Amino acid sequence: MPDTADNIIELRNITKRFPGIVANDDVSLSVRKGEIFALLGENGAGKSTLMSMLFGMYEPDAGEIWLRGQQVRIASPAEAVALDIGMVHQHFKLVSNYTVTENIILGVEPTRRLGPVRYVDRKGGAERVRQLCERYDLELDPEALIEDLGVSSQQRVEILKMLYREAEILIFDEPTAMLTPQETHSLLETIRRLRDDGKTIILITHKLEEIKQVAERCAVLNRGRLIDVFEVASTSTALMAEKMVGHQIDFAIAKDAPQFGEVVLDVQGLCVRGANKVEMVRNVSFCVHAGEVFAVAGVAGNGQIELADAIAGMLPASGGEIRFKGQDATRANVRQRSVDGMAYIPEDRHGVGLVLDFQLSENLGAKRYFRPPFARGPLLQRDEFRRYANELIERFDIRVSAGPGTPTRSMSGGNQQKAIIAREIDLGGRLVVFVQPTRGLDIGATLAIRNRIIAERDAGKAVLLVSIELDEVLACADTIGVLYNGQMTKIAPAASLSRNEVGEYMMGVKR
Amino acid sequence: MNTIIIDGLSYALPLLIIGIGGIFSERSGVTNLALEGLLGFGAFTGGLFVTLVNRFLGLDDMLTFYLSFVAAALGGAAFSLLHALLCIKFRANQVISGVVINIAAMALTGFLAMLVNQAIAGSASNKFLLTTAPRYSVPALKDIPILGGFFTNIYPFELIIIALAAIFWFILYRSRFGLHVMACGDNPQAVDAAGINVARVRMVAVSISGLLSGVGGMCFAYSISANVSPAIYVGAGYLAIAAMIFGNWKIVPTLAACLIFGFARSAAYQLVLYLKIGSMVTDLAMTIPYILVLVLLIFFSKRNRAPRALGQIYDKGQR
Repeated sequence: MPDTADNIIELRNITKRFPGIVANDDVSLSVRKGEIFALLGENGAGKSTLMSMLFGMYEPDAGEIWLRGQQVRIASPAEAVALDIGMVHQHFKLVSNYTVTENIILGVEPTRRLGPVRYVDRKGGAERVRQLCERYDLELDPEALIEDLGVSSQQRVEILKMLYREAEILIFDEPTAMLTPQETHSLLETIRRLRDDGKTIILITHKLEEIKQVAERCAVLNRGRLIDVFEVASTSTALMAEKMVGHQIDFAIAKDAPQFGEVVLDVQGLCVRGANKVEMVRNVSFCVHAGEVFAVAGVAGNGQIELADAIAGMLPASGGEIRFKGQDATRANVRQRSVDGMAYIPEDRHGVGLVLDFQLSENLGAKRYFRPPFARGPLLQRDEFRRYANELIERFDIRVSAGPGTPTRSMSGGNQQKAIIAREIDLGGRLVVFVQPTRGLDIGATLAIRNRIIAERDAGKAVLLVSIELDEVLACADTIGVLYNGQMTKIAPAASLSRNEVGEYMMGVKR
Repeated sequence: MNTIIIDGLSYALPLLIIGIGGIFSERSGVTNLALEGLLGFGAFTGGLFVTLVNRFLGLDDMLTFYLSFVAAALGGAAFSLLHALLCIKFRANQVISGVVINIAAMALTGFLAMLVNQAIAGSASNKFLLTTAPRYSVPALKDIPILGGFFTNIYPFELIIIALAAIFWFILYRSRFGLHVMACGDNPQAVDAAGINVARVRMVAVSISGLLSGVGGMCFAYSISANVSPAIYVGAGYLAIAAMIFGNWKIVPTLAACLIFGFARSAAYQLVLYLKIGSMVTDLAMTIPYILVLVLLIFFSKRNRAPRALGQIYDKGQR
């Protein structure tokens, strides 16, 4: 097949520097027409930067881009689109109060004439969108408003935007980061169908299973350098992971048998109403001992978030009791619980966990600022914040560019999470609540956090872990409680449950 | 009753056209508190035009009347470019820019009017006198009970406004440009990714707000006092902003809000005349539209939703 073997994209010796960092260092790659090409690497390895240059968002400092055998200069996304390149960004670029069709046609609107007047032909646009949906088997209502759609539907809109513009080269930037397993499955299905239709696909990801499932070839980047390019079919996931991280990694977490102590958290008959006033947690009872990791498993949306929020005091209980260290804490406010020794690592890092526009030192002091030595009377002691931040940066290995004064927004996701964990754990409480602690993090950061969970348990703390990732639950839990439809349908020692059994309880097959 | 409708309409329609201007600016994402200053500057340009024409050219009165609206529109648009430039090019705070433009318009127009009058007429007045605007009634329709008021003593500019409102409704909701405007106010990143120049769309949208405010200001100048003076700054621009917000940044609901304000104002005025009370109480009664604003604010603010990117400076690099 000589024509499919033609290289549609060639990147030659691409180098891109940002202040203080070399994002891409002399990277040369070629992608064949009609293949699914994966770009693998940890967060910050330079994958997105490399593809952003192909999409015209940045220009390389050195090196050449060749498309279809010709050297090109791509100065803007509009120029990339003109060269039939499309990109689905990690953060979607959609107009929330517009319909699916309006978003897709934005900038390339079809028009009709009414006498001397031209107007936007929404009907014709919707019709073409409908045809594209049918052709690629994408389920989407062209008239639906974006703000009413879920993440996976919005992603389909982004895909359709590229198809509507007849892009040939489709770049997906971490497309499965926000998707459930089922949604991931159907996205990968779509990607395959696009390939079968003759599109060339570049998949940026750090998830090995996805690459194994769909990609033909894979390039590994590490710290801006191209490590290797290999055929996926003949390479093991272990080897890929090793190349990505740069050293051998051990997926299994070593942990000793648990030593249960006294009951730290005792939840009895808890009921919680969610934001929509619907009862999301119904009559849930369980207890967590010192030295125990109690993991709440379940498919997203079954009441986990509400359960964790109620325990942390962010949501009121509509019924039942929460006893913490033997005392009734059902009506205690967030500050009281925190001062009493309840640490809370929330799911929403940016919305709840951190003030992104604050400096790191201010975020690290956020649970202590009201007490000496952080405050003297009404005045904050800046020096103390700085000293304390330096201490935590050292102890928890938080990597920052400018020490305690680093703007939190500029930190990577993994380091932001480390900062939250450092702040919460250093309060020295008896209970640590982790909600989705490794969401969106790369393998290195994920392993570090899971090890931290075990370390806290071994230090005699009670740990409540809420996660929709079954692997995480199985790796860390001593006891597993499965939440299905707001109810705790199963509580059992982790060792007594098989992976499949937990899955069946999660899906409500067993109860 | 007839008078309430006649006066109410002649107040509500200029309010509407200014409000539509505000809608264009704010739906594109640029906060526009400058409507007051823009309508004043527009009226000033129109008044200047009339004065110059009458002094040096001596055109037909009706022609001058109509052309004065064109002059006012251009003047408002030109002055609004200042707001556009400050907010879009120089990334100034949009609230401050709007307020500054209001203050500047007030000071500048009064001062310039005096200069011009001194040079032309030799008397330092800050007023431009206008001809009285003609009014028409529709023969048969004006005799319909109650509704007849809508067809009696209409200013020609009321028809101009209705035509402009229809045209700009079409532009906002049916044209490509309108689609781009409203997208800029929600997610400028998406617009940029679609290859559209966000800054240019916003520039044009803001100048439309100046254009329409200028027309509205000229209408007020003719209907309220038949001259242009700093007395034109009585808060109509702010009332138009209120109408736009009650109208949820949509044109048809904004029309409803303007009509409510207009009729409340003229009804309050008639009430005062009917009760034959003193002028101090008259002033109090004339605050009724503004009190109405406060009351409506309580009911409407919860349900209304401002454009998502309103007031945000668009930074291409931010992701």
